Amino acid sequence: MTSPRKPWAVLIGLAVFHCLILFAGFFAPYNFAEQYRDLPFAPPARLHFVDAHGKFYARPFVYALEPDPANPGVYIANSADEHPLRFFVQGAGYKLAGLFEVHLHLFGVEGSTPVFLMGSDAYGRDQFSRFLYGGQLSLLAGLLAAALSLVLGTLLGAISGFYGGWIDAVFMRGGELFFALPWLYLLFAVRAAMPLHIAEWQVFLLLITVIGLIGWARPARLIRGVVLSAKERNFVLAAKGFGASDVYVLRHHVLPQAYGVILTQMTLLIPQYVMAEVTLSFLGLGVGEPMPSWGTLLASLQQYYVLSSYWWMFLPMLVLIPLFLACYAAADALQERLKSVPL
Amino acid sequence: MRYITRRFCHSILLLIAVSFFSFALLQLAPGDFFDAMRLNPEISRQEVSNLRLEYGLDRPLPVRYERWLRSVLEGRLGFSLASNSPVAPLLRERARNTLLLSATATALAWLLALPIGIWAAVQRGRWGDRVCKFATSTILAVPDLLLFLLLLLLAVRTGWFPAGGMASASVDSLGTWAKAKDVAFHLTLPALGLALTLLPVLISHIRTAMIEALDSPFLLAARGLGIPPARRVLRYALPAASNPLISLFGYSVATMLSASALAEVILSWPGLGPLLVDSILSRDVYVVVAIVMLSALLLIVGNLIADILLFASDPRIRTE
Amino acid sequence: MSSQTQLAGGTTDVDALVRIERLNQEYAQRRPLTGVEFKVRALDDASLTIRRGATLALVGESGAGKSTLARCLALLERPASGKIWFDGNDLLKLRRRELFPLRRQIQLIFQDPASALNPRMTASEILAEPLAIHGEGTKAQRRERARELLDQVGLPAASENKHPLEFSGGQRQRLAIARALALQPKLLILDEALSSLDILNQDLILKLLTDLQAAYSLTYLHISHDLRLVSQFADEVAVMHNQRIVEQRATLDLFTFPAEIYTQELLAAMPSLESICAGRQA
Repeated sequence: MTSPRKPWAVLIGLAVFHCLILFAGFFAPYNFAEQYRDLPFAPPARLHFVDAHGKFYARPFVYALEPDPANPGVYIANSADEHPLRFFVQGAGYKLAGLFEVHLHLFGVEGSTPVFLMGSDAYGRDQFSRFLYGGQLSLLAGLLAAALSLVLGTLLGAISGFYGGWIDAVFMRGGELFFALPWLYLLFAVRAAMPLHIAEWQVFLLLITVIGLIGWARPARLIRGVVLSAKERNFVLAAKGFGASDVYVLRHHVLPQAYGVILTQMTLLIPQYVMAEVTLSFLGLGVGEPMPSWGTLLASLQQYYVLSSYWWMFLPMLVLIPLFLACYAAADALQERLKSVPL
Repeated sequence: MRYITRRFCHSILLLIAVSFFSFALLQLAPGDFFDAMRLNPEISRQEVSNLRLEYGLDRPLPVRYERWLRSVLEGRLGFSLASNSPVAPLLRERARNTLLLSATATALAWLLALPIGIWAAVQRGRWGDRVCKFATSTILAVPDLLLFLLLLLLAVRTGWFPAGGMASASVDSLGTWAKAKDVAFHLTLPALGLALTLLPVLISHIRTAMIEALDSPFLLAARGLGIPPARRVLRYALPAASNPLISLFGYSVATMLSASALAEVILSWPGLGPLLVDSILSRDVYVVVAIVMLSALLLIVGNLIADILLFASDPRIRTE
Repeated sequence: MSSQTQLAGGTTDVDALVRIERLNQEYAQRRPLTGVEFKVRALDDASLTIRRGATLALVGESGAGKSTLARCLALLERPASGKIWFDGNDLLKLRRRELFPLRRQIQLIFQDPASALNPRMTASEILAEPLAIHGEGTKAQRRERARELLDQVGLPAASENKHPLEFSGGQRQRLAIARALALQPKLLILDEALSSLDILNQDLILKLLTDLQAAYSLTYLHISHDLRLVSQFADEVAVMHNQRIVEQRATLDLFTFPAEIYTQELLAAMPSLESICAGRQA
């Protein structure tokens, strides 16, 4: 990656993106399950500033869409029917932080015509809203799973490296089991072991646990390596000489050497785990309808006619590219910084 | 030689451990194949339990494992409830197809990555290297899922490539050579996609390994002796970099198998991937276990080959 | 001046702070290809006595077992067999909790100070750490004590927020010594502590150590391979060869009348015995 000369731009971009996802209810004009049955597969809305008579408006507006009687599946805009975009409107209710019922949305359109910023799907649901809500699920799943993997991996790797002996042998041999399987097959296998039809929040928890559990082996091995070399350092011996307990030494002297590795692993694992959730949901092995996950948003692309005619269904995925680029850029930057820290 | 036998025995043990682990894991799952039948009002509860008994799904875990193990040794690999046949014949063709796809994709990836990686290492710091870095980063950031979907879109829209499957409908009527060409034609898109998913990682590692080799003292000495650059790169630096590259090969087998599952599902290539997904959805447990085992076997064999290659190529390991 | 008592291991002497009796240590190693284990002997029935308030130098070639002995004494390693008496306590018999208060009385200074100090911590934190481990004082009190220690070893007060790598080699060793002093030890083991320093710094640190010994009645076990240095400051010298102590005598006695053959060989490799004797007798 071109070494980011402005790492702040990347970080700010990431922060903004996460804010959008976090407050999906506010930024999304519609609820993820809201359907507009008479507007399936509508293309992304075009915002206009100049109307049919050439008059300029500061406030953008959209035209109402009507199905074209001559071409099934195609829509024509009715230039007589204008619907201005309004900001800070009251709309469908959503729960802020799961507690407060709020009705405020960033933008919306008056009247019954919906504004589909990213088009709509087979049931006429707004893809943009579903993208934001789906992000809450997929991104959160990825983050939590990565955290789980890292916590587990650090714990087991540190204990293995520090104490050695049979504990080390048991854990590392166990880790080999996880290495012996291609991770996607392992993911499927573990998913197969879980019940297929369970409640939504259980599915979510399940996904996180499954994805997080299979990935502990690689971070564990890396951390073990760091711990092995760190525990022989003289300053660790010195602390032991003072009578410091093993836990103290691990906490204060050994593990801090691993912070860099942990952080880098985190930035590398998050994209991978997000994609794991997306893949599972895409194949129908993850969350089910109507819960939006980036995976379920893409699932309809498996049908040829959707794939070839409705390009906007790709948008949720395309937006992820810069997100992952940012993650990898962050990982690179971290590696660079790590090299300069005295060890 | 002792090193090889040690690795071999280790691999066998690992395979057995994987078999028990995956078997136990899947048997722990609540519900089984016949659950779907339970929802059917026409089939009585009694019939379902009878079926369960018949297929031995009520026996305790060790018994089931033992029976399954015996079935494996007899070459049947358990029983598929959905297809009402032993698992082995179902897998044979599928495994062959997956191997064909993975092997082609791996070869393609390495064929592309080696020259690019070497060239990037030689060009380091200059515009060629930077262009490479940018391109590989972009490809890396594109999720596999998206890549395969885009390729499918390409096929559907342009019709240059078949949009899936392994052979055309009229394949049986063709001669052998034409048949092979047909399969190759269908192979192109999936293999290309798979190769692309592996390419960025390969290129970046090859580049790093080559740079390290190029920076080493004996390379500088070669330069001082006036050996021409092309010869230096190919006959001095490349062999020196082969150690990490061979380990990389083992890693590439793992990633390839993983990614191929997804490619097969999306691009309708009849390999192990789609069968696995279907079996999970229908809870055809023995098929799932068999496929998982098979994938582990392929991976272990891949790593074993890598270990052997390493042993053969690096004199340092032999004298250890 | 020097008591003529022979203090090789085994004899009871109320003056002895440390008595090491027949220490044995071995390490397990594997042959590379076959994986067969074999044992390497690091200490072979080594015995040693250190008088209270004295400076004992432990000399010998590399691989003789000096560092192993030091680590066993500093309780960083557990010997395979033998006894270690410290201030009347049988160290190897004590349990962890009983050992804890004794640990503060024996401190080890390493050869390479850079590796012995955590590069991520400031000097103040490094000095306060032993106090924190033993639960002494509040954070503010420990900081204050850290400043006192810095002063005692001759480091400027402003260096309390610096990291080890910002100091020079000699300063780092001072920092390590300051840390060792934090818990008011009785015995200080210096494992080739001067070897990595230039001659100027060696002299300065030696002077510091002498001053500290006088001020706090410290006992030193000084491990060194540099006989010239040893001759300057040690009261007694113990010679180690092939993982055992072959001779332990007062410095002047050893240098003028070496009893063992090995000691004679060692001394023969040293220059100008006469000038050293002359300096000692003054």
